[in-house]
Amino acid sequence: MAGPLLGIRVLDLTQGVAGPYATKLLSDYGADVVKVERPDGGDPTRRVGPFPDDVPHLDRSGLFFELNSGKRSVTLNLAAATGRRILQRLAADADLVIESFRPGALARLGLDAARLEAINPAAALVQLSNYGQEGPYRDFELDDLGAYAMGGVLALTGGEGREPARIGLYAPLFLAGGVLATYTIGAVFGSRRTGRGERVDASLFEILASSMDRGGPNLVAYQYSGSLMTTRSASQLRNAMPNGVFRCTDGYVSITGQPQFFPRMARMIDRPDLAEDEAFLGRLDDPAFLPEVEPLLTDWLSRHSKREAMERGQAEGLPISALNTMEDVFADPHLHERDFFETVAQPAAGEVVMPGLPLRMSDTPGEIRAAPTLGQHTVEVLTAALGYSTQDVAVLRQRGVV
Amino acid sequence: MTAFDPGGDPRPLAGVRILSQAIVWAGPTGTLILSDLGAEVIEVESIQHFTPTRGNVRHVPPEQAQGPMGASFANRDISEGFWNRRNSFNYASRGHKSITLDLRSEAGRELFFDLARVSDAYIENNAAGVVDRLYGGWEALSQVNPRLVMASFPGFGLSGPYRHFKGYGATMEAIAGHTMLRGYRGEPPSEVSATFHGDPNAGAHAAFAIIAGLMARERTGRGQLIEISQSEAVAHHVSYGFMDYSMNRRVQEPQGNRDPSMSPCGVFPAAGDDAWIAIAVPDDAAFGALAAELGLPGLADDPRFATVVARKRNEEALEALVAGATASATPAEWMERLQAVGVPAAVVYHQPDMFDDPQLVARGFFAEIGHPTIGSYLYPGAMAQFAHGPADLETPAPTLGQHNEEILQGLLGVSDARYQQLIDDDVIGTVYLEDAR
Repeated sequence: MAGPLLGIRVLDLTQGVAGPYATKLLSDYGADVVKVERPDGGDPTRRVGPFPDDVPHLDRSGLFFELNSGKRSVTLNLAAATGRRILQRLAADADLVIESFRPGALARLGLDAARLEAINPAAALVQLSNYGQEGPYRDFELDDLGAYAMGGVLALTGGEGREPARIGLYAPLFLAGGVLATYTIGAVFGSRRTGRGERVDASLFEILASSMDRGGPNLVAYQYSGSLMTTRSASQLRNAMPNGVFRCTDGYVSITGQPQFFPRMARMIDRPDLAEDEAFLGRLDDPAFLPEVEPLLTDWLSRHSKREAMERGQAEGLPISALNTMEDVFADPHLHERDFFETVAQPAAGEVVMPGLPLRMSDTPGEIRAAPTLGQHTVEVLTAALGYSTQDVAVLRQRGVV
Repeated sequence: MTAFDPGGDPRPLAGVRILSQAIVWAGPTGTLILSDLGAEVIEVESIQHFTPTRGNVRHVPPEQAQGPMGASFANRDISEGFWNRRNSFNYASRGHKSITLDLRSEAGRELFFDLARVSDAYIENNAAGVVDRLYGGWEALSQVNPRLVMASFPGFGLSGPYRHFKGYGATMEAIAGHTMLRGYRGEPPSEVSATFHGDPNAGAHAAFAIIAGLMARERTGRGQLIEISQSEAVAHHVSYGFMDYSMNRRVQEPQGNRDPSMSPCGVFPAAGDDAWIAIAVPDDAAFGALAAELGLPGLADDPRFATVVARKRNEEALEALVAGATASATPAEWMERLQAVGVPAAVVYHQPDMFDDPQLVARGFFAEIGHPTIGSYLYPGAMAQFAHGPADLETPAPTLGQHNEEILQGLLGVSDARYQQLIDDDVIGTVYLEDAR
């Protein structure tokens, strides 16, 4: 491991998707992330799967592998006073404490901002919650679908006149986690520089409401003009250039269509004459012309595969891509040539192929590592970092503290 | 510990200077975060090429002023100077500075290198190879300033057979398998609108890369090139499907709004125009509470629905029963009622309604920001609240070339005569040239 964040110590009290994805990024890039889990089952993601052969097992969840690569797992019963004391000692050694409990819960565990300042004034504290640490929704529940709904992007996805449809499981939570990771590392950077631990209050709701996935700009468009620039429909009809997802012989392609790209599409569909036809090109700004243009494309696509279409179109400079199924993703020549896939030996599941590093750093590359089994590092962390003996840990285990 | 001077500014990245050619949709998310964190972000634009968030044609067709495109300009004003009135630029570039430089000219490139010499980082997401052809790319910049941290995030990365492929958010998501997993259950992916989930994600990652690179520099003393493929970054977001294929060779299909372990989980019609309430029921107790609130208390004891396994088996029938009972109240009323009894429920928000949301109002989320040419409007605030070094929510996005004088003369010491020559030669300016593209 030669990551950029080597030497950064993180006490990770997050669970679920968004918080762990943020700390996964810290971990992949070299931070020492100590993940505190409850002894009775740990992070709920351990129960989610997918599991090898669909057999549930706390140490074999594929989603958990992804979200917790390289972290060290310590079990700690925070309902016990000793557990809370150990938590404070871990916090005293950290550069960052990050949590996603319900608002107020951290303080009840004896570790609010004031306490952290007393025991470790330079440590940053990042608090992720559904709706923020205060306000009328403070105690409201929020799941993956709800986060997408409240953020204002669910209303924009789906078919016109139909119910809104989300864009895949957990995607908004991953997005929020990626954004949170960036603010978090910023907070660590600033806290180290000033010696004064930054305090960050982040809410899933606000992160997603701001998103450049059209929600944020739509808020501004409404301010600017009293209407929206993006609404829910399968095609955003603004001109006569085909735009969206189209069927081919063996699946689908996605095309981002703009009138200036039409000559490229014309060459792809073996109609170079249209690329030069000024009268034809002159009508492309008019959406009413689309019914004459689109059949030219769909007819050609009905005789070509998605990969043929992508290769032919891209050779002409058209933004077109094959809609990869997950099987296609695993066979994709581009991803293979770039060595994207990482084979990682997971302690309880053997070798598993994982998505590779999302950032490629030329000098300090980082690494995708195994996710921990539940409590895998309890003894290691308590003995090495906190000075307990293995016998002490055995006593704590008998008492249900770890 | 660090070479730059925060000058008493408490924001985490105060004193960090970042050059940006981060464009289209992905780039701005990254520089927005960096700017919120206190970095001085200088957008290096030009009067020859449009910054896509400002516009992409020299004269906006008048018929588009009334359509959805027109809604992106303040007061739908598409006349000269429209590039300073665009929603996406004025949102994501708040607090940035703007200079124009024609990097195809010798003079422009020279000034760009001068600027790189006094900057900490550079972030760009042009198509792969563009900056290499323009001025020599990373190789040239790292010679000029070995401490520079550079983040490049073209759609498909800097290597591999697709590296020169053209693409936008939708193109890159398709390669990662995301598009085939979204949308309505049992229907083709053509039935839902394009989404651009990968854009803000790649931008956020690029900002992460810059800060991580600055932290590594404290240790190593040198900068580095960091590359992000938008496709690869999105692959993590579909890891539920990715890992299922990896471990079980199962190809997942779109599940609509359903969840593998919750039922019901979906959006249901509420009172109002295009009004929906999102409901996700995590356990049997919450289901009992939902059934009571819906006025269907018998459902909780109905053997078809009493347990989550039974509900998953009879999901279609259950969804129809719930949908038949939700039209009596508005989404906001449902959220209040259901949350009060512990059922995760959320309004499917339309942007116009969000400005009055009690939570966003209570937290002061929206910031009123003035602007030299269009006046004051509300904008989304920072995505995370920092107690000690809060984001600057007062400085507006720059007009095109607004900081030419400040940066070129004030920072780089360009003489009056040379500055005028740059204007005369169209190396710099504040108005797009007629043949800009």
